[in-house]
Amino acid sequence: MLKVIQLDKTYGSNKHSLKNVNFTAQPGEVTAIIGPSGAGKTTILRSINQLIRDDSGQILLDGQDIRQANKAGLRKIRHHIGMIFQNYNLISPLTALENVLHGRLGAKSTVAGMLGLYSNEEKTEALELLDEVGLKEYAYQRCDQLSGGQQQRVGIARALMQHPKMILCDEPIASLDPKSTKIVMDILRRLAKDKQLIILINLHQVDIAMEYADHVVGINSGAIVFEGATKTVDDDVLQKIYRQTDDAKTVVSANEN
Amino acid sequence: MKTSFQSPQQFFRQRRLRLSVVLIILIGIYVTSMALVNFQTWTSIAKIPAGLIWLFHNFIPTERSISYLGPILYQLWRTLLVSISSTIVASLFALIFAILGAKTTTPSPVFRIVIRFGASLLRNIPVVAWAMILLFSFKQSDFTGFLALFFMTLGYLTRAFTETIEDLDAEKLQALQAVGANYFQCVFCGVLPEAASTLTSWVLYMIENNLRDATLVGLLTGTGVGFLFDYYFKSFRYDAAGLIVLLIAILVILLELTSTQIRRAIA
Repeated sequence: MLKVIQLDKTYGSNKHSLKNVNFTAQPGEVTAIIGPSGAGKTTILRSINQLIRDDSGQILLDGQDIRQANKAGLRKIRHHIGMIFQNYNLISPLTALENVLHGRLGAKSTVAGMLGLYSNEEKTEALELLDEVGLKEYAYQRCDQLSGGQQQRVGIARALMQHPKMILCDEPIASLDPKSTKIVMDILRRLAKDKQLIILINLHQVDIAMEYADHVVGINSGAIVFEGATKTVDDDVLQKIYRQTDDAKTVVSANEN
Repeated sequence: MKTSFQSPQQFFRQRRLRLSVVLIILIGIYVTSMALVNFQTWTSIAKIPAGLIWLFHNFIPTERSISYLGPILYQLWRTLLVSISSTIVASLFALIFAILGAKTTTPSPVFRIVIRFGASLLRNIPVVAWAMILLFSFKQSDFTGFLALFFMTLGYLTRAFTETIEDLDAEKLQALQAVGANYFQCVFCGVLPEAASTLTSWVLYMIENNLRDATLVGLLTGTGVGFLFDYYFKSFRYDAAGLIVLLIAILVILLELTSTQIRRAIA
């Protein structure tokens, strides 16, 4: 279980700051964080694996506080937290297989990682994971030759290579067409159920959150304004999450149509 | 602040006006500087045809020049090797400095400042000055030429490599950090593969560039094809000197064509 307690982060400008953020995310569930642009969704996600250093609070993953870890400890924790991104962030001149193998870097010695010395088991597993996301025949293709949806699936396979307890998804479908969106979201939901992973997703699209999430966290101006089961989200809740922003108007009218 | 809306006619009139002002300033600068150095544009232009005729008459290689082909090709070969080896060695050092000095990969801002300053110093001393300075310490030898090219290339490539690395998408490196990769793993598994094709392009460009510069350096250090040019020139064998110029041009073009092919293959 992931438990975020009283997380605070202040930037020079008020944008992206976090104020007393509390929420939980359960294994086996898809948890969606929704809210207007600039509300701090990305800041929350990146605080969890400490790509962004927050100011104060606690982030407990299975009872262990990530914020207290030293450098080596943090590396070990990160190894068990997968992350996928809006822009996929694969190393594009390398093949899909090599990118998936990068998921092992956190567990390897410095030199073995630098030189890309992977064991036969690791190579076989990487190929199996590509098969699992339906990309086995693309294993030896350069990632910049893959479509957006395919690259995102390579990203998911890289995350799975980490044997993760949790996968953080930072706007994973914002650059994808509807068909790829469905493929990627279906995979994420299946992973939550089958492997009992914590799937934590930042989303812009409310309808996707409603369709796929079990649990919704609503954020506005860096503060949590809603947390609860997806079925308890109604128009009033959405109004509260998206209040006073241009985004809110678009979303609400889109829902009405 | 909201001003009254501009009509498109007004917008383009203003843009034309601005362009004309810039043009007038440029012409003004030219006229003033020509006047200051007593350069008479028209009389100089009038002298060009006569100059060209003399040049073609004397520098066009004849059958007689073929006898010089052996020594010229031998020296050209040596010059090519010196420029390639100096570029390769310099690029290895430049890569290390660039990784230590680039904003995204520097271990400490102190490295960044020192390396930037050092590279700028190396780069801004012209290669000719390097050759003359090093001539006193290392005498007339291929090694002096090698060093002169090495220092200039090191300065130039460190800067180019640093900018290449800084232009990489920092998020991609963050993704590797998120996986749990440490600094060296991020550099070897992320930075190097991402930057490899651009870095190679720079190295190929520098080899071309250094072949041209090596000729000039050779003039000063008394080695390679540059020395041979100087020797033929001063002994009035202009046709042989002309042959050297021709061969250098051919070699540079061949080098350019090859590196274009290589670049296309690795892109």
